[in-house]
Formats: sequence, structure tokens, C-alpha cells
Amino acid sequence: MQGLFDQYAAIRDFLELGGDVLDLIVVVIFAMWVLILERIIFFSRQRRRLEQAVRQRWETRPERQSWNAKQVRDALVSRFKLQANAGIPLIKTMVALCPLLGLLGTVTGMIAVFEVMAVSGTGNARSMASGVAMATVPTMAGMVGALSGVFAGIMLSRKADRAVEKLRDSLTMDH
Amino acid sequence: MMRNSLLAGVLAASLLASGVLVSTAVLVPGVAGAQEQAPSMAELLRRVEQGQVRDQQAFQQREAEFRGARADQERLLAEARERRAELEGTSEDLEATYEENEVRIGELEAALDKRLGSLRELFGVLQQVSSDTQGLFENSLVNIQYPERTAFLADLAAKMGTTSRLASMEEVERLWFELQREMTEQGRVVRFPTEIIELDGTRGPADVTRVGVFNIIAGDNYLQFTPQTGNVSVMPRQPEQGRFVRSVANLDEAAGGTEMVNFALDPTRGQILSLLTEKPNLVERIQQGGVVGYVIIGLGLLGLLLAAERLVSLGLASSKVSAQLKREQLDSGNPLGRVLKVGEENRRKDTETLELKLGEAILHETPALQRGILFLKLISVVAPLLGLLGTVTGMIVTFQAITLFGTGDPKLMAGGISQALVTTVLGLVVAIPIVFLHTIVNGRARRIQHVLQEQAAGVIAERAEELGGDGGKRQALAA
Repeated sequence: MQGLFDQYAAIRDFLELGGDVLDLIVVVIFAMWVLILERIIFFSRQRRRLEQAVRQRWETRPERQSWNAKQVRDALVSRFKLQANAGIPLIKTMVALCPLLGLLGTVTGMIAVFEVMAVSGTGNARSMASGVAMATVPTMAGMVGALSGVFAGIMLSRKADRAVEKLRDSLTMDH
Repeated sequence: MMRNSLLAGVLAASLLASGVLVSTAVLVPGVAGAQEQAPSMAELLRRVEQGQVRDQQAFQQREAEFRGARADQERLLAEARERRAELEGTSEDLEATYEENEVRIGELEAALDKRLGSLRELFGVLQQVSSDTQGLFENSLVNIQYPERTAFLADLAAKMGTTSRLASMEEVERLWFELQREMTEQGRVVRFPTEIIELDGTRGPADVTRVGVFNIIAGDNYLQFTPQTGNVSVMPRQPEQGRFVRSVANLDEAAGGTEMVNFALDPTRGQILSLLTEKPNLVERIQQGGVVGYVIIGLGLLGLLLAAERLVSLGLASSKVSAQLKREQLDSGNPLGRVLKVGEENRRKDTETLELKLGEAILHETPALQRGILFLKLISVVAPLLGLLGTVTGMIVTFQAITLFGTGDPKLMAGGISQALVTTVLGLVVAIPIVFLHTIVNGRARRIQHVLQEQAAGVIAERAEELGGDGGKRQALAA
């Protein structure tokens, strides 16, 4: 229990150190990882079921060689592609937003530093420290968030592409 | 030889001069004419002789007078000497008295010292304490209530500064009382009437609440006390944060009661409060951004409006398209319905014509779906660039200030630096949501486009098959 409270206090102190922008970055990183996990669950659980349904629909067609059949196949693959790719552009956007938010934190922190300088001059480095923390901590958090998300984003997008290609290949037209 | 010639020269010159004299003497009467008869040389001589005789007589007369006065002067001199001697005597007497008195003063002072004893030390302490306390009281908020005490303290300090006057017992006790009173007042929250200066400059009586020696408030305003003039005035700017001002109103309502109230107290006696009010608010911050800042904000608003419009219209189109996918009837109110209608109209034609017609219909729908999305992207790219522009122009302002005034005063550089930072912030604040909105809007538009491009033909094929055996016929036609 005490350990849990210590953890909470550490996180709270860290969030206070970074100012308001850090809260925003935390929200964005959290949303990004929720989306990433949702995609991972999709690929590990629902994907097989969806592929099965599409394949079944294709296999139960009476003929698979006409123009109509080709169009229907394209439509089936396209629907699966939409489902496989859902959320991935949003993940990529959030990856791109993280460093931008970090930069925002840097600049607001600099404003805080200059505000202190305008009041107490350049002599007191201690009073500027909170502004410097506000400038650097969100930058670091933004970088960490972007780095953590960029691999997941690329992995998911390749996975979706490959799944679509595999499905397209499995819907054969020759029989 | 030389000397002789010089002598001769001088002689000649004097002769010449006399000749001139003679000629003028002759000439002047000639011009004057009838004025008077010219005196001859002999006459002139005679007159000179007479003058000499007259002068001599005057001299003799004067000499006689002086001789007469001499005796008188001598008498006066003697009198003056006598007086001097007399005064010197007096002076010696006085000097002697002075010395005697000095000795006596010394004796008396020694006696005074002896009799005062440790009292002298006490008076020193009294003087120091009363002058220290005077300075303290002048800056204290309690002084608004009891303004007369500083005069008393100044008087006491002055009295203790001289050696000739002693403090009375009442005064010593009053000093004690004043110190005690200040101490007691520091711990009290009291309400009392006084005269305050409003923001518009009018003076008027008001009930103010004093919280110890830290803050004074009236209504829901913090007041400030100027010790130099003794004025109590409403602070020209109250703190931005509503919770501070609200706490003031709470205290003002509750003053005099006994319940506990939250109150934002400034333990530095107004310093933190004044710094807090100097902090620029949101509007001032935006103003610091200058023209570039306004351009960025304008772009951001434009982007937000555009994104909202796109979100609504694309959402409507998307829901209509998904409804159309499920429904049998074709509705020309949505893009998919229109494309399917084209397919329906050309159902009897061969596949190539059908594909061409479909492609044409889809191409016709695309611009309406894509409208504004590129502009959103543009804003998301341009806003940070404008922020960078503002940064650079702000830095230019800063460096100009450095060129003119040097780096000595950071406040002169502050304007440029705030412009640089505020525009950067504005650029990012505009870009971040627009990037987000662009992704969402773009996702919606692409979903519909996917449906149109990749699924429309499939839907037509499915419908044809459902209508019955048409597909086989067309296949035969195509083959």
C-alpha cells in the first residue's frame, strides 16, 4: 500500500514539474496506446474471424470468374482493408503530435523562465529552475511518447497491409 | 657723434612744434573772428604768475588748519588707547570666568553621570527602540487605524537624542503600550472605517477589513497602503485568478463573525500580490504576439470553422452512404446512390462502358469529398512556419534593442523575446488541433472514397445478381 502511494506521489510530482502541457502529452500518449492495443487485439482475435467470413462468402458463390465476381471480390477485400486500417492514421497522427506538444511545452516553459527573469532579474538561477523544468520535461515526454509509438505504428500498418494482401491472395478466382 | 645728431633732431622737432603752435595761435582767432581778443604772450605769463601766488596762499592756509587739528587728533588717539586697555582687561576677566565655568561644567557633568548611572544606557536603548519602531510602524498596515503614534515615537526619539531632556514615566510606558498594541494587532482580523481612494480617483469613506499586518481589503477588492502619503487605495489591477478575488469577498462578508473562511493571504505584505497582478493575462499575451500572432489566430479560426463544416457534411454523407449500402432503393441524395444510379442506367451496356461510366461518376463525386482537406493540411503546415517567422522577427526586435541599449537591461529586450515565444506558442497551439482534425476529416473522406472506388462496382454486381441471372448474360456478352 505504501509502495503504491509512493508511486502515486512520484507520478504526481512529475506531472506537476512539467506543467499543463505535460498533462496533455500524457493524455495523447494514453489515447495512442489505447488505439495501439485495440489494433493488436484486433489482429490477434477478430482478424481471423473476419477473414473466415469473407472467405466463406467468396467460396459460397456459385461462380468466381465473371466481371461481377471480380468486382464483388474487390469490394470484399476493400471492406476488410477498411476494417484492418481503422485507427492506424490516427495513431500515426498522434505519433507526429507528440514532439509538437513537447515543443509547445518547451516554449511555454521558456515564457515562464523569462517571466521570472523580468521580475527577479538574471541573478537568481534557483527561481528560474521551475520554468526550465517546465521547458525540458514535456520535451522529453513528447520524445519518449513519439519513440514508443512510432515502432508500433509502423508495425501495425505493415501488419494491416500484409493481412489485406494475404486475404486477396486467398480469394482465388480459378475454381 | 651719434648723440649730437640725436640732440639736433630733438631740437628741430621742438622748433617745428612751436612753429605749429604759433601758427595755430594765429589761425584760431582768425577763424573765431570777433569772439575775443587774443591774449598776448606777456598777458599769458602774467596770468600764470597770478595763479601761482593764489595757490601758494591756499596751501599756507591749509597747512595752518592741519597744524591746528593735530593736537585734537592726538587727544583722540590717547582716548582710543585708553579704551583698548580697558577692554583688554574685561576680556581677561571674562576668560578667567569662562575657564572657571568650564571646570564647573565638567564637575557638574561628572556629577550628572554619577547620578544618572545606568539610566543613560536606558535612554540610549529607548532612543534606538523608538526610532526603529517608528520606521516599522510607518510601513505597518496598523498605522491606518492609529496614525498618531508615529509622531509620538519621533518626538520621543528626538528627546532621547538630546542630553538635556529626560523621558517621563508616561512616555516610557506608552512606548511599551504601542509595541504591545502592534503585536496584538498583527494577530487580528478587524474591520474599521477609513478613507479610501477608488479607481476613478475619488476619495470616500469605506469599511475596510485588515488581516493582521498582511492585507487590507474592501468589498471584493484588495487595497494597497502607501506609507509615504498614508493613502489607502484600491489596487489598480486585481489578481487574474478568480479564486483569490472570490476569497476576498468571502472574508469581507464574514468579517466580524467567528467562523473560519478561506482567504488568499499574502505573507510578504503585498509583494507577491503586486507581482501576481503584473503577470500578463491571456489578452495581453496575445497582444504580445503582434501582427504575426493575429495572422496565426485568424488562420486557426478559419481552419477550425472549415474542419467543423467538413466534419458535419462528411459525417452526414458517410451515414447516408452506409444507409445506402444496406437499402434497396437508390437515393440520389448521397454520393454512393448517385454512382449506383449511373450503374443502374447503364446496366445493359458492356462492362467496359459500364466501368468508364462508373469511373466518370466517381470522379464527379471526388472533388466534393476532398474539398477543404488540402487547405486544412496547408494550415497545419503553415501555422508553425508563421510561428517561426514570429520568432525570428521577435529576435530581430531583441537584437535591435541590444544594438541600441546594450545587454544591460533585460527589460528592454523583453518585448522582442515575448513576441518570439508567444508566436511560436500560437503556431503550435493552432497546428496541433488542426493536424488532428485533418486526420479525422481525411479519414472520413477517404472512407467514402474507398466505398465509391472499390465497392461501388461490387455493389452493382451484387444487385445485378440478386435481380437474377444477369451476370452470366453480361459475362457472355463480354466474352
